[in-house]
Amino acid sequence: MSALLRETRFLLRDRGAVLWIALALLLSAAATGFGIVEVRDQRATIAMLLEEDARERKSALAGQEDWGGAAYAAFHLTYAPPSDLAFAALGQRDTAPWLHRVRILALEGQIHEADTRNADFGLIGRFDFAFMAATLAPLLLILLLHDLRSAERVAGRHDLLVATAGAARQVWLPRALVRFIGLSLGVMVPFWIGAGFEGTAPGKVVTGSALVIGALLIWWLLVELVARGKASPPVQLTGLVGLWIALALLVPATARALIEAHTPVPDGAEILMLQREAVNDAWDKPKAATMQPFLARYPEWQAWGAVDKPFAWKWYFAFQEVGDMQAEPLAKSWREGGLARDKAAGIAAFLSPASLVERGFERLAGTDSRATIAYEDRVRLFHAKLRAFHYPLLFREPPYDPLAFAKLPRYRPEP
Amino acid sequence: MTDVEPLAVTPALEAHALSLVREGSRVLDDVSFTVAPGEIYALLGGNGAGKSTTLLTFLGFLSPSGGSVQVNGREVGADVAAARGAIAYLPEAATLYGHLDAYENLAYFLDLAGRRVDRAALEAALDQVALPPEARGRRMQTYSKGMRQKTAIALALLRDTPILLLDEPTSGLDPVAIDEFHAMVKALAAAGRTVLMVTHDVYGACQVADRVGLLRGGRLVGSFEAGPQGRIDTETVHAAFAARGAS
Repeated sequence: MSALLRETRFLLRDRGAVLWIALALLLSAAATGFGIVEVRDQRATIAMLLEEDARERKSALAGQEDWGGAAYAAFHLTYAPPSDLAFAALGQRDTAPWLHRVRILALEGQIHEADTRNADFGLIGRFDFAFMAATLAPLLLILLLHDLRSAERVAGRHDLLVATAGAARQVWLPRALVRFIGLSLGVMVPFWIGAGFEGTAPGKVVTGSALVIGALLIWWLLVELVARGKASPPVQLTGLVGLWIALALLVPATARALIEAHTPVPDGAEILMLQREAVNDAWDKPKAATMQPFLARYPEWQAWGAVDKPFAWKWYFAFQEVGDMQAEPLAKSWREGGLARDKAAGIAAFLSPASLVERGFERLAGTDSRATIAYEDRVRLFHAKLRAFHYPLLFREPPYDPLAFAKLPRYRPEP
Repeated sequence: MTDVEPLAVTPALEAHALSLVREGSRVLDDVSFTVAPGEIYALLGGNGAGKSTTLLTFLGFLSPSGGSVQVNGREVGADVAAARGAIAYLPEAATLYGHLDAYENLAYFLDLAGRRVDRAALEAALDQVALPPEARGRRMQTYSKGMRQKTAIALALLRDTPILLLDEPTSGLDPVAIDEFHAMVKALAAAGRTVLMVTHDVYGACQVADRVGLLRGGRLVGSFEAGPQGRIDTETVHAAFAARGAS
């Protein structure tokens, strides 16, 4: 304890070290603050749209006179609210849509035409806590620890320090430990405060903290291995920054490029185009070309499947679904490709502590690829419920009664 | 040449047939000497003679290629921490922390050594080395080389160890301060401290030491003791030093 107190006092007199720790605190506070502002903005957007959604649907349904028109006019809000840890790791919420307004038209196009609200910003990624802790904190740790020994050698104090202490570890271990603790607190305290504001589950906070501290311990070990050499401080710093560039930037980028090349995934626009072309072509095709595949999937509507008018809502919505059926292989490939890429990225992350921390946080926060795919599956499930609600009305064509819409399915986000 | 004499008591420091090879070069070759408790022994030699290297073997920073080094009768390699705990080491051009003042530097290093001393003891040690009181609260980066050396000497005193290893201790000190330092070292020896100092200052070594060993090319090539008048003859040592070359 005495050694830690001694080194704490020493650290507080070392302006350079204090500056790096203060910078860590500042960056972490900024990243946490940005994250909280963003998720609160997202929650406010969802709350506002939920109110609008109910009001607009009521208004749209009020002017309708038949089941088809009502089904066509009604929009339904689907959304994935940010979790209690999303402020720390915005992850895929930057690049993948987390809310849609869907109708019972062909779905895949509706899923893939949605874009982030700020796609340009999404391209460069957001400065969130996970990025700060995974990528920037190790760099600050390197700056704090790289020259503990070598700077003392250059200053001619190394032997005096070790001879006075009796053993090298009695000098370097407490000194490095105090700096490690200082940096860890600088990084973690804003996160802990942010988690308090956001009401994050304690288990997530503990796991997230353990992830960051565990990764920083790995970096400390790497710094220690390099710092034990007799090279000068600039040479050691160059080597360690090179290692940081490799592990925090090059390995993830290379792994991503290799995974993307090895696991091709169709573009969302391809799915959108295919499905739209299928739907648009249906207008010009014989109605049987739509109804046959539709009724093959829904044999229960065979008795009501005849279309004897130039336009019928049941035919219109049937060719919407047939459009989805044609886009299904591509959509499935997109989904499975995404999961395969995610799995491969999970394995590759073991080569990079930075990737491991970011992925760990995104998993905990429910902002990773799996969460995005789970949300899209939830939208598909809800859309299927909408169809299940409307199809009996469209095919059996009972007398129009707007009171029936009181039983319209409501989207429920994942609890 | 060896300088081993039968002693009634265990030597505080002993090098026995000490050899050291570094990067293929023999930097110490069959060096033997002892330093008795309370004795001042000066290792004299030119640059590269092996003086500082000898000190570093007593501190366990360098392991002998042959022979042995002992502190208080124990092999240094067997318990480096014990050897270091018995020794206060004053390196050449001791650079304490420039961003700390003298009190903070002393407190830091003493804490590192496991010693707690009060402010009065710090003041007494700084008085003893004659560091001006007005300088003591200033950052050491504003100190002259002599003031830094005095502070380092104060640290060695405050360590209160039975053995002092001093590497060119008067380097950077003015003549008055050197005389004061020699008097202080003699007083410490009189109080029972053992002093091994390495220097290339022939006059200073002869002034302060009970015995002088002359190192050349890693070998102990001469040994000189005080004569009947209680002093080592500077002329003789200087002649040996000059005749045999600086290293």
